[in-house]
Amino acid sequence: MKQISSNLSDMSLDKQEIPFVYTDEQLIARFQAGDERAYVELVNRFRDRLINFVFQFLGDREQAEDVVQDTMLKLFEKKHYYREIAKFSTWIYTIARNLANTELRKRKRRKTTLLSHMTRDEREYELPAIQPETGQEVQTEFAEKLIQKAIHDLPEHFKTVVILRDIQELSYDDISSIVGVPLGTVKSRINRARLQLQADLKDLR
Amino acid sequence: MNRYQFEDLISEYIENELSLSKRKQFEIYLDENPDAGDLVESVRMNMTTMKHIPKIKASPDFNERLLAKIKAKPASLQRESSSQRTYFGFSPIHASMMSGLLIAFVFVSMQLFSSEENTATSHSQYLANDPVPSLSNPSLQNAKQASADFADVQEDSSSDDTQNKPQKDFSKQMHFVND
Repeated sequence: MKQISSNLSDMSLDKQEIPFVYTDEQLIARFQAGDERAYVELVNRFRDRLINFVFQFLGDREQAEDVVQDTMLKLFEKKHYYREIAKFSTWIYTIARNLANTELRKRKRRKTTLLSHMTRDEREYELPAIQPETGQEVQTEFAEKLIQKAIHDLPEHFKTVVILRDIQELSYDDISSIVGVPLGTVKSRINRARLQLQADLKDLR
Repeated sequence: MNRYQFEDLISEYIENELSLSKRKQFEIYLDENPDAGDLVESVRMNMTTMKHIPKIKASPDFNERLLAKIKAKPASLQRESSSQRTYFGFSPIHASMMSGLLIAFVFVSMQLFSSEENTATSHSQYLANDPVPSLSNPSLQNAKQASADFADVQEDSSSDDTQNKPQKDFSKQMHFVND
């Protein structure tokens, strides 16, 4: 483990010795062969993308970071589970998505427990309203908040695909691999999700 | 084109993935239904807004915290990473079990094959296959003796065969001819 520590001690450094030209698949192959600098490069490549992805599910930055940390830890522990039949990005996104779903389930359980312990008066609460404010920047921010709330309220199977397509800008093929449904279903779900978002935002605006 | 077909094609239209003929049908529908155009524009606007949602960056100490987590469970990590290495898709335990089974299978089949071969091989074949004994080897005499014995046995058996062969009875036929 001393070896691991010494190899990973450079993790805080932004610039790594691994050349930029390596593909994700080449990097994971190097990491599987024991090169831990490749792991650092993979972490640096994917941490921001995954935090943004998970944040859309959880709506909490700190929790999103924790989930991505767990994802990276899983990558470290389970590196030999990766096979080059799939793109590395789809594999790591799948891990992050599963961990985010687990976190959501935990959260739901906690909520249920808390609600069951509350009195009737305590249960009647309102979600904080988002009020439009003046100014172009504020208007844009307001629109973004509205859309994030609308995404958050989407059904699970719509939410994942629309985040992956419209925020993460992944290809339909990659999304199909991540969620494990056929390409046609992915396209159909994305279209339906966009229509539902439009309908929800029409009411909110 | 009806409303359902139109709605199904909105994303493909915006992403420019419609075939020429479908695109024409879609645009005809748009011309005929002004509200349909509003819907398309609204979806397009939402897509643009989603693309421009500010991206979050990982906190500066992200890697340090991750490193601390990795360091926190060193023994288990080492154990897991070595045990999770796979060979031809099998975990080390399963791979060793499979190879053990394979070796056992080969051994048993070899045993079966050799025993069958022994029972099927005739005595002469056995002798032919026997390594030729050298002159200094006392087993030469034994081998010669054995082959001589075997020849005798064969002779005896052939003579016995002729004696034991049922003689054809021609008396009836002769009798018949005489008649």
